[in-house]
Amino acid sequence: MAAYLLRKIFMLLLTLLGITFVTFLLIKSLPGDPVQGLIGERAEQATVERIRRELGADQPLLLQYRGYLKLIFTGDLGTSYYTNRKVLDDLKAKCLHTFELAFAAMLFASLTGILLGTLMAVTRGSILDRIGLLVSAGGISLPVFWLGLTLMLIFSFLIPLLPPSGMGEGELIYLILPASTLGISSAAYIVRITRSSLLEVLTQPYITTARSKGLTKTKVILKHALKNALLPIITLIGLDFGSYLNGSVLTETIFGWDGVGRYAVEGIMRRDYPVVMGTVLTGAAFFVFINFFVDLIYLYLDPRIRVRE
Amino acid sequence: MRYFSRYNLRLNGLRWFLFITIAISSVFCAGCQEKGKHKLPGFLYLRLNTNPTTLDPALIVDVASANIAAKLFNGLVRFGERMEIVPDIARTIEVSPDGTRYSFELRPGVRFSNGREVAAADFKYSFERILNPGTKSPRTWVFSRVEGAQEYMTGKTKGVSGIRVKGQNKLEIVLDRPFALFLQFLALPTAYCVPKEEVEQWKKDFSFHPVGTGPFILEEWKHNVSLKMTANPNYFDNRAKVLGIIYRVIPEDLTAVYEFSSGNLDLLSIPQAEFRRFITHPQWKGLIKEAVTLNTYYLGLNCRKPPFDNPKVRQAMNYSVDREKILKTLLEGRGELASGPVPPVLLPAGETVPGYGYNPDRARSLLKEAGYPDGFEIKIYQSSDQETLEVLEVIQQYLEKAGIRAQIIQREWSSFKEALNKGEADCFWLSWWADYPDAENFLFPTFHSGNWGAGGNRAYFKDGEIDRLIEEAQRTIASGKRLSLYREIERKIITQAPWVFFWHKKEYVVTQPWLKGVRLYSLPGVDKGTQVYIENRIKNVKNPEDRSQNSE
Repeated sequence: MAAYLLRKIFMLLLTLLGITFVTFLLIKSLPGDPVQGLIGERAEQATVERIRRELGADQPLLLQYRGYLKLIFTGDLGTSYYTNRKVLDDLKAKCLHTFELAFAAMLFASLTGILLGTLMAVTRGSILDRIGLLVSAGGISLPVFWLGLTLMLIFSFLIPLLPPSGMGEGELIYLILPASTLGISSAAYIVRITRSSLLEVLTQPYITTARSKGLTKTKVILKHALKNALLPIITLIGLDFGSYLNGSVLTETIFGWDGVGRYAVEGIMRRDYPVVMGTVLTGAAFFVFINFFVDLIYLYLDPRIRVRE
Repeated sequence: MRYFSRYNLRLNGLRWFLFITIAISSVFCAGCQEKGKHKLPGFLYLRLNTNPTTLDPALIVDVASANIAAKLFNGLVRFGERMEIVPDIARTIEVSPDGTRYSFELRPGVRFSNGREVAAADFKYSFERILNPGTKSPRTWVFSRVEGAQEYMTGKTKGVSGIRVKGQNKLEIVLDRPFALFLQFLALPTAYCVPKEEVEQWKKDFSFHPVGTGPFILEEWKHNVSLKMTANPNYFDNRAKVLGIIYRVIPEDLTAVYEFSSGNLDLLSIPQAEFRRFITHPQWKGLIKEAVTLNTYYLGLNCRKPPFDNPKVRQAMNYSVDREKILKTLLEGRGELASGPVPPVLLPAGETVPGYGYNPDRARSLLKEAGYPDGFEIKIYQSSDQETLEVLEVIQQYLEKAGIRAQIIQREWSSFKEALNKGEADCFWLSWWADYPDAENFLFPTFHSGNWGAGGNRAYFKDGEIDRLIEEAQRTIASGKRLSLYREIERKIITQAPWVFFWHKKEYVVTQPWLKGVRLYSLPGVDKGTQVYIENRIKNVKNPEDRSQNSE
């Protein structure tokens, strides 16, 4: 078991190192010069060259990469070319906001998806089941920017229940619209996975055995059926949560949510290399750790995996 | 599965209960969000579509930062209501007859928001800071004509000899040659006064902890979310009539429209897609204000590369496109047709310069004379922007009729600018916006051969006579003679046609009915925010001096 964990951690670190290298090469190979955005529409050529030297943008690529790795190993992710703020400081604040949004979205998606999927599975063929399948298809298909603007139109403009955008002073009411927007497509997937996974489990002989032993229907579904149906659902929740932690630029843009997604995209547009490297590295780290955590949950849920490892 | 049928009944009941509860709650709560519920009373709410990058005057290059900085800082002079130069912190201004020596006497009692009184030495520090290589200011051109500036920038001297402190409140600036626009340069955000002790304490973080003399003081900046300024009670000039200003960062245009319609914003610059809705809406059409902003939209032609190294080809391009029709239809008339590079308001009371009309026959005959009877192929570069693409697709059709086969190349902004500054593009769509309200701003950076590439002359245009005239105009202090020179330069540029001149766009804003005193200016960074006030909606009192009555 210890060997398994050490192996996983080693691969995790190697993955992260590889990601920094590939990202660095990709961003440097893009056309566009970070200095152009810093100088405005009119600047003397000597000023342009001087700023380029001070950013280190005139050095060979490998030297620049080596310099960046040195920074990372000291826990520093560099300084934004544009704002001169430490990328790590910015990311700390934005990661928290992104985590709030991602957590709220996944909570909404998980509760809604598992509840509805369970109801649909146990009432298979009913009107509820059919409507649920239609609605979930819609949730999967609708583009998030359209969904966000439509929810804003309905709940902030036509029926003014919720603020259209912003973060307020951290009140939960500001989280409702962006979390719902983000969570709806995940909920739609979770509904379908829950339904199909639960349907498969409900046909197993041990479910019939449990009922014949006198257990109540609720106990059979919640304790026996759902637990065994959870594996693929947990995987999906983990994957979606991981991707949300990397930021959801469309949702953040529409609702003015100060998250990692917008930060990263603005960094890419401006060729703000430290911001791009910092956000990619942080996002990759989250993703990799979330998947590691999901692997640990697998070990707990499924004894067969424990024995195999 | 039969044994779940009773379960189904319970579920049906549960479903109905939930549905009815939600429906009742929705109806009950409908309208429970009042208009502008989330606002602080007495504060003005405005929108930014992007987070300002910095509030350090030495580093400001974007419009958002300039607009905010104008409310936090002051300079020696500023632009007045009609874009004329008026004193700001300087009480008196004297210019020597040869136009090289500028003497200023400062108003006594002007203080930074940290309480310290402003002195002439603060301006010397602020201006030298721009030229100091350690500051990395991209706007060194504002002070590069000051005597001793070049020596200071290259490290040969420890100070700029041409910036002289003559007393506690007296400052003198000496230029290395006459330059008629220097006072306008001193009105730019780059020339705002900053306190040395604050800059040295905060170092790079001064960008986010600005301390100035302005009518507002920065209270809080939540990056990418909002920026809050409160009125400076010790401001030396007309004080603000609002308690403060809150800028909200709202990147998406439609979100901003919803926020405005919900009363959460007091003023909105109308996005293009919503223009028709607002100007026809009975609630809003009477509250729309129009401003002529100083800009020119154009198709730049790379004069270094064939076929645009031939003036006849460039003139043919100008004749090929019905710009007036595009302006009236696609842009719904939101602009003024450009006959040349300079907005007409900057060349007042003069003979109208005729521009190019739509004349495809003339275009074809010019191409024939230039040796292109069958036309040619070009690539038009643009930054990835939907409105620009729509305009260029129409232009593409017009050019096709004249035998010019154009391919549109969309590039993301950073890569687009790099291509332009390196001279890769045959032809490109761009706009030029004024930093200061003088025709020179549309002539020197954009057409003088010393400014190729990043300097502003992205058409790589060169004409010795035009260079000479521009330099002469810059040295000419007498405004009448300078205007004549500008008109002559513009006529020559129109003839040479390094651009296809399209239009000067107008800006439209809509305000809430309770917002009064709004003025629109042609330049960013001019509005100090001291004239606007919020009318009390309950008492309907319009006393702008009594701020307590203006709270909502």
